[in-house]
Amino acid sequence: MDEGLVVANNVTEKMLKFISIEQGMPEKRYAAERVGDFNEIYNEFMADKASEQASRCSQCGIPFCHIHCPLGNNIPDWLSLTAEGRLEDAYALASSTNNMPEICGRICPQDRLCEGNCVIEKDFDAVTIGSVEKYIADTAWEKGWIKPFTPTIERAESVGIIGAGPAGLAAAEQLRMAGFQVHVYDRYDRAGGLLTYGIPGFKLEKNVVERRTKRLADSGIVFYLGFEVGDDATLDELRTKHDALLIATGVYKSRPLKIPGSQLGNILKALDYLTASNRKGLGDTVATFEDGTLDANGKNVVVIGGGDTAMDCVRTAIRQGAKSVKCLYRRDRKNMPGSVREVVNAEEEGVEFVWLTGPDAFVGTDKVEAVRAYQMRLGAPDPSGRQIPEPVPNSNHDIPCDMAILALGFDPEDLPVMFKAPELDVTRWGTVKVAQKSLMTNLDGVFAAGDIVRGASLVVWAIRDGRDVAEVIQKYLLTKPQEEIIKQEAVA
Amino acid sequence: MTDIFNDTPTHSDMHDLEQNLKATGLYDPSEDHSSCGVGMVAAINGVSSRKVVRAAIEALKAIWHRGAVDADGKTGDGAGIHLEIPQEFFNEHVRATGHEPIEGKMAVGMVFLPRTNLALQEQCREIVESEIMNYGYAIYGWRQVPVDISVIGEKGETTRPEIEQIMIANNKGLDDETFERELYIIRRKIEKAAVEAQAHGLYICSLSCRSVIYKGLFLAEHLTNFYPDLDDKRFISNFAIYHQRYSTNTFPQWWLAQPFRMLAHNGEINTIRGNINWMKSHQIRMASIAFGDHSADIKPVIPNGASDSAALDAVFEVMVRAGRSAPMVKTILVPEAWSKNTTMPDSHRAMYAYINSVMEPWDGPAALAMTDGRWVLASVDRSGLRPMRYLTTHDGLLIVGSETGMVQVPDEEILEKGRLGPGQMVGVNLEEGQLYKEKKLKDRMANSQPFQDWIKDIVAMEDLDGNDGKEPVELSPDELKVRLIAAGYTLEDLELLLKPMILTAKEAIGSMGDDTPIAVLSSQYRNLAHYFRQKFSQVTNPPIDSLREFRVMSLKTRFGNFVNVLDEGHTQKGALVVESPVLTNRDYYVLKNHFGDQAHDIDCCFDTDGTPDALRLALDNICIEAEEAVREGRSHLFLSDKHVTAKRVAIPMILATAAVNTYLIKKGLRTFTSLNVRSSECLDTHYFAVLIGAGATTVNAYLAQEAVAERQTRGLFGDMSLEDAMLRYKEAIEQGLLKIMSKMGISVISSYRGGYNFEALGLSRALVSEFFPGMSSKISGIGLSGIEAKTLEQHGNAYKLPVTTLPIGGFYRYRRGGEVHAYDGTLIHMLQKAVGEDNYAKYLNYSQGLQNMPPVNLRDLLDFRRAKKPSKLDDIESITQIRKRFITPGMSLGAISPEAHETLAIAMNRIGAKSVSGEGGEDSKRFKPYANGDNANSPIKQIASGRFGVTAEYLNNCSEIEIKIAQGAKPGEGGQLPGFKVTTLIAKLRHSTPGVTLISPPPHHDIYSIEDLAQLIYDLKQINPRAEVCVKLVSSAGIGTIAAGVAKAHADVILISGNSGGTAASPQTSIKYAGTPWEIGLAEVNQVLTLNGLRHKVKLRTDGGMRTGRDIVIAAILGAEEFGIGTASLVAMGCIMVRQCHSNTCPVGVCTQDEDLRKKFSGTAEKVINLMSFIAEEVREILSELGVEKFEDIIGRTDLLHQVSRGAAHLDDLDLNPLLLQVGGRKTKSICTRTERNPVPDTLDAQMILDAKAVFDRGEKMQLTYSIQNTQRAIGTRFSSEITSRFGMEGLNPGHVTVRMRGSAGQSLGAFAVQGLKLVVAGDANDYVGKGLSGGIIVVRPSNRSTFTPHENTIIGNTVLYGATKGELYASGQAGERFAVRNSGALTVVEGCGANGCEYMTGGTAVILGPVGDNFGAGMTGGMAFILDDSGDFEEHINDETVIYQRVKSPYWEEVLKTMVKKHVQETGSRYGQMVISNWQTKLGRFWQVVPKEMIAHLVEPLDEVTTQDVA
Repeated sequence: MDEGLVVANNVTEKMLKFISIEQGMPEKRYAAERVGDFNEIYNEFMADKASEQASRCSQCGIPFCHIHCPLGNNIPDWLSLTAEGRLEDAYALASSTNNMPEICGRICPQDRLCEGNCVIEKDFDAVTIGSVEKYIADTAWEKGWIKPFTPTIERAESVGIIGAGPAGLAAAEQLRMAGFQVHVYDRYDRAGGLLTYGIPGFKLEKNVVERRTKRLADSGIVFYLGFEVGDDATLDELRTKHDALLIATGVYKSRPLKIPGSQLGNILKALDYLTASNRKGLGDTVATFEDGTLDANGKNVVVIGGGDTAMDCVRTAIRQGAKSVKCLYRRDRKNMPGSVREVVNAEEEGVEFVWLTGPDAFVGTDKVEAVRAYQMRLGAPDPSGRQIPEPVPNSNHDIPCDMAILALGFDPEDLPVMFKAPELDVTRWGTVKVAQKSLMTNLDGVFAAGDIVRGASLVVWAIRDGRDVAEVIQKYLLTKPQEEIIKQEAVA
Repeated sequence: MTDIFNDTPTHSDMHDLEQNLKATGLYDPSEDHSSCGVGMVAAINGVSSRKVVRAAIEALKAIWHRGAVDADGKTGDGAGIHLEIPQEFFNEHVRATGHEPIEGKMAVGMVFLPRTNLALQEQCREIVESEIMNYGYAIYGWRQVPVDISVIGEKGETTRPEIEQIMIANNKGLDDETFERELYIIRRKIEKAAVEAQAHGLYICSLSCRSVIYKGLFLAEHLTNFYPDLDDKRFISNFAIYHQRYSTNTFPQWWLAQPFRMLAHNGEINTIRGNINWMKSHQIRMASIAFGDHSADIKPVIPNGASDSAALDAVFEVMVRAGRSAPMVKTILVPEAWSKNTTMPDSHRAMYAYINSVMEPWDGPAALAMTDGRWVLASVDRSGLRPMRYLTTHDGLLIVGSETGMVQVPDEEILEKGRLGPGQMVGVNLEEGQLYKEKKLKDRMANSQPFQDWIKDIVAMEDLDGNDGKEPVELSPDELKVRLIAAGYTLEDLELLLKPMILTAKEAIGSMGDDTPIAVLSSQYRNLAHYFRQKFSQVTNPPIDSLREFRVMSLKTRFGNFVNVLDEGHTQKGALVVESPVLTNRDYYVLKNHFGDQAHDIDCCFDTDGTPDALRLALDNICIEAEEAVREGRSHLFLSDKHVTAKRVAIPMILATAAVNTYLIKKGLRTFTSLNVRSSECLDTHYFAVLIGAGATTVNAYLAQEAVAERQTRGLFGDMSLEDAMLRYKEAIEQGLLKIMSKMGISVISSYRGGYNFEALGLSRALVSEFFPGMSSKISGIGLSGIEAKTLEQHGNAYKLPVTTLPIGGFYRYRRGGEVHAYDGTLIHMLQKAVGEDNYAKYLNYSQGLQNMPPVNLRDLLDFRRAKKPSKLDDIESITQIRKRFITPGMSLGAISPEAHETLAIAMNRIGAKSVSGEGGEDSKRFKPYANGDNANSPIKQIASGRFGVTAEYLNNCSEIEIKIAQGAKPGEGGQLPGFKVTTLIAKLRHSTPGVTLISPPPHHDIYSIEDLAQLIYDLKQINPRAEVCVKLVSSAGIGTIAAGVAKAHADVILISGNSGGTAASPQTSIKYAGTPWEIGLAEVNQVLTLNGLRHKVKLRTDGGMRTGRDIVIAAILGAEEFGIGTASLVAMGCIMVRQCHSNTCPVGVCTQDEDLRKKFSGTAEKVINLMSFIAEEVREILSELGVEKFEDIIGRTDLLHQVSRGAAHLDDLDLNPLLLQVGGRKTKSICTRTERNPVPDTLDAQMILDAKAVFDRGEKMQLTYSIQNTQRAIGTRFSSEITSRFGMEGLNPGHVTVRMRGSAGQSLGAFAVQGLKLVVAGDANDYVGKGLSGGIIVVRPSNRSTFTPHENTIIGNTVLYGATKGELYASGQAGERFAVRNSGALTVVEGCGANGCEYMTGGTAVILGPVGDNFGAGMTGGMAFILDDSGDFEEHINDETVIYQRVKSPYWEEVLKTMVKKHVQETGSRYGQMVISNWQTKLGRFWQVVPKEMIAHLVEPLDEVTTQDVA
């Protein structure tokens, strides 16, 4: 056809391939193979596969993926760049809104965020956004495009950040880039927070987190690990040391299950269990694991809960060689909060899901021997439209259990007490109170962000919060000196 | 309107109203347009006679249908006649006063004086007399011209001047030439004196010793009734120029009637602003050379406030008075398209190359009749956009006019019948007594001077040192990034705009309109170009197709001083001419280097140190620097913002350029220098266009190029070299510039340059009047201080903080942190939920959500004045009533899927509302309700420029026909449906071939002027005697006067589309920068129509981004009665604004033809109905708040609105009061009160239908015979409507009814004629023969008594068979321009045709037994043509971009051809055709067969027997 008659826009000619190309995920390792180790289960995309999958994007005028991404990642744009093979540009763009794209690519519940809102999802299966994101960033690491950075200007002001999880790290990076002196305090011996100790290696290999934290350290961020605020320094001391302080501790307190038998042995908190497993993976010696307390090997394991943490627990247990692994959840498959993709992975690996089942009691003498459970059914919907589960009368039955893991969610710890800072205002749920726009707590120059403000949530939200708070801290610091001068004058 | 020409004070009411409206409202008289009928008669031997005068008077009586009549039925828009002064007639008057006239010709001045203010009248006489006597002439006296005022209407009467003639003796005994020249100076002095004395109402129609002009505001046929002088048998002349005006303006102006002093003009000068600006510079040198001491008297050459025709006349006159001949002046002002014409003789080419350097063409459609006293000429513009037919008679007359048959000449008297093709001229030299036809005249001019010598030293870019060198790269990636940010670039700009330009050498395309805020409402940084809206043609002149008709387009840019326009023979040594004003960085340096010392650099940056008014100071400084440089003889200024640093910020180069340009014009220095502009912001074609429009000679987008270079270095363009990449960028920009020019009908960049061919939207009025004088700026907005603040802020973004990547953008597609989009993701889902669940509460959430957004549209700054006492909801008009006012606007079946298209129609029919079919036909099975009762027939059928699927049947199955003049997404542009979207269904409906591309031309080829539109409306009211006719316009400055013209053309509904709506795929810069919001256009139309007493005759409708009940109510208050809801109805059916409509990949099946995707469609009629009901319910709630019960009671009630926000703090002002002005006083409603459609007069068909009773009663065969004249138009159309409704479109056998006619048929002979009707004309026919032919047969042959050779003469006019779908046409003679344009099924044989033959044809077969004009077969994608090429030059004329041509090589096709020629001979009795048959073997070898490339695979038989095997 004559060139003058081609109306189609050649730019998008490379894109919009969803009609002709089917969705394809990176290859997944066989279940039988992957349960033998703690390595990630997805292989990397082959280069042309990634660009081919990226080319399925419809390049929407209103990109719902972008709208539903907490970070507002410019997904259509880096998909288009990937389709063109311009990975360095794609990485530059991806990293401009996200401090750790390769981590989000691995652990974000995309089926509830970007991919779940992809406009072609309904009829053509979504673009595999997460896998492409991971591919872009992994390639960037591999090619050495990601290097420690030096800020264009060094500023004198220093910021202390309590907590080296995703919120703290994101804030640290943003502030350091703007030239501030950044000091990060964490009670654990490694940085990363839940990224390091919460999430199992088969979802997020630990070197992925380590190279991020190392890069930050190499870029001039000072880490104080094994540092307990309250013991090693009080909040007040940190406030005098730094021009601004950020509390980004996350939420760690497990929600208890108040049923008979809860005091029995071998009833574990999910986080203790996962941390031990991750430590083992990192090569640490963990006494409670060596003594078998936190090792599922050869045991009948029952995990209670239906969220992402529960998924992590069941799949860890499988890998530790449990005799059987069951997941108890009071609603059905359709109504569980965790990622559907994870359920599939877990089932492939041999986990048995016991839907519509609630725990009634733990049975046993000193150690748990069984979980007494009852059938549930979904009753009338609540105001949000979600059906409320209710027990089916006389449906009690016992599920054999040598180890029970409670994965029912997390609450904040008592920070005023922990930090020996009773002056810090918290809400009745224990989260730190901050002003809506300034994100500042009731203490001048003390900010808070992430789960400790929001309550337990996703890593991607933590990153977003970290970035947001970094911006207001920066603004605070840049306007602060004048105010102080005014204050000093007033005092004088 | 003007100082000099203000009318008598008697019509002060009207005048005050107009002035008031001009001052406060949206109406601007300078936007008036006029078109008309024009012509001339001349005695070839130069001998005066009564015959000439009589012929002209007769002609004026036969062109009434090309003029307009005011509401009073008597006041015309003006008519007049220009004749030789019958010296004896006036001598007798002198003698009657007791004096004896002296030797030599006396001069007569035809003078309009103020009539009612007698003191002023006397003062005017004194002025006239004293100026004459000061020059040493004697006055015989005044003569009151006898007039009969009973024939003029009320408006004509109230504004009537006192009309007198002053007779002047040539007592100095000068020769005619000198006498005329002095009379000219006297007249100019009188005009000046009148201005000084504030003697309003004095106007001199003519002051000459040769000729006199009688004109006024009567209907053309009343000319001699009003001026009995003209009936006097002593009134003899050797020439007559006559004119009938059709103006969009209805404030009657006696002086604006034509002819003017030298010419009568039917057309429009699109480049008028640029021409006037350039004239300001030209006149300085020109006047001093030609008029010496009197030079001050003749300046300004163009009086303030002159219309385009009057301005052209003024310049024409001054050049003639300075000694150039009329043919030469015409050639300079309105030259032929020459640069790409391959058949032009070298001598002509040299002449044009020379005059190209003299003056910028006055570009636009034009039919001109003119005289300088020695020559009488007629000619047309470079594209032949106005018809001109001529004939010569055995007794020595040359008769030229807009139509054939205006002067009735017996057949046997006719010597020759011809027409004027593009740029052609015909005339008589009265002194020599000789006829000059085109070639003879041009030869004479071309040989009059050694033009070839004068141009031989012109230098081209290729001749300069370094022009083939490498493109430089000067910025590091980091530096580049910072500069890009400082200039406001985003990643989107680079990825979505720049990249496609490099990859495809074309502009990027988008769809679904624009839902971002207009620049002045945005909180983002928007560069200055965003405040400029491109102007475009609608109705009064046609846009050009710059792709298919590139031969008339030119970007040639000339450097070096313009020679004095009056000075012939100036040497051209060393003058540089480049092919385009778009310079790459290399070109820029090569050029600067070439100019050496003559070049002067001006740094266009200012300090960021916070000096108050820094921008103002900087602009002042660069102006002064420019002036000094020019005065020092630096004739090439290079303005650059490249010197930007952290501490120096770039002046927006649009501002810098405009400042220097206007400053230099003011100082009279502009023509002494070129302005070369280097801009960092400049990236897309729009920015280039604004810079050139602001006066830039060349433009260099240096930063865009650096960005390209950086990408090229990184290998993003593969192996492409930087030089290649820049060539492609240049190509894309150049094509874009041509498109921007052509959409407003301008074909030459030199005429576009400096013309401010934009409308400001959101620029402060003070800023505009200082830097862009004459440009319209309706609502004011950002001024210098705001621009300074915004520029500094953006500069700071780049230099104050460290940056990693460019901002993402969000202007074209939503991105977080980017521009606001009214269609927001959450709201779309909310609306879809609401209509899906029939949940009004959710709809209200959606509506509230929209209101909570930052302002996007002008209406967001308005709010209601709520009543103290709301009306009760129960008392308010019902949802059912309100919904009837809703319309789903035209979206064609080619664009949206058949499912979506039908769903809309069914939904709208169910609620008694209306859907518009859109362009592209509709399946006839939808014309009757389905078995389940659903009615999928669109009540409104659209007719667009492509005329796809427009048949008699289609037009008969509707209650309204909408003529889509323009569409919001790309006003002034054509479109195309790519082959992959042309499915079997679509091909069937459009009468084309599946898989073959279809092109819609930019203009309707039967609407080049307002009188053409009137004709089309007339045709449509014939083919459907019940349907109302709607004309769809796009909001822009001047739309009010256009609407007034449309109303006078008997339209019933006028639709004003906003810029933002529209779903069509278009270039991004068209979506973003053409047209204005409907709020402005609607208010203007309502005001102007009300003012002119036309509002009650038409219903007003509006569309473009209507989303809520609030939008509807605001539109009603601004004057609309009906409302289009387009995009929102698509959203209700599932559209999620993917904005990839042009890719055929719509994932929800709304906007696609793909079978699989269409299955995804989830829209239902119920969802659409819910949407309409919700909106209506919300309207009711607002009506309640307003305290009103009936919807009608808010229409035009602008007192119910007030402005609640004046925009951001940095703006000078944002003033929406012009929208809220009430013409008829407060609290009036302007509504349409007619109950029937506006009637049009009957044509011959009324008689035919009576006479053919037997056909309709009993189905009998019949033959009817009549004598006809050109005033009988659309013959056979109404008759075809009757056949269609009685028997169906194919119900009768071919030739069932034969109508034989003798004479000249009026326009649109046989329009939409259906099978069963055969029209046979012995004589000739005008334009639009067989328009939309739907199966009928038309035969046109010369009368048996005629003596000329038919195949050498013209027998049918322009634009024949436009959009024909079926039927046959045989014409024994030649056809005019655009023969068989967009024919999609008719078979035809003619004996020659003009330019652009078979353009855009998609079906049917055309046989042309003679020469064809230029650009044959352009954009032809279907059908077939055979051309008999006796002269062997066909290959020079064909445009083979989409077609192949070869000799007839297959017996099958030979037989097809021969059968058609035989049929032609049989029908017309053509002797020539018979001769071809007789010499078949010889002639066959001279035939060419033309076939579209895309069609070759679809032919029933292969083209070439031998190659059959290969093809298969």
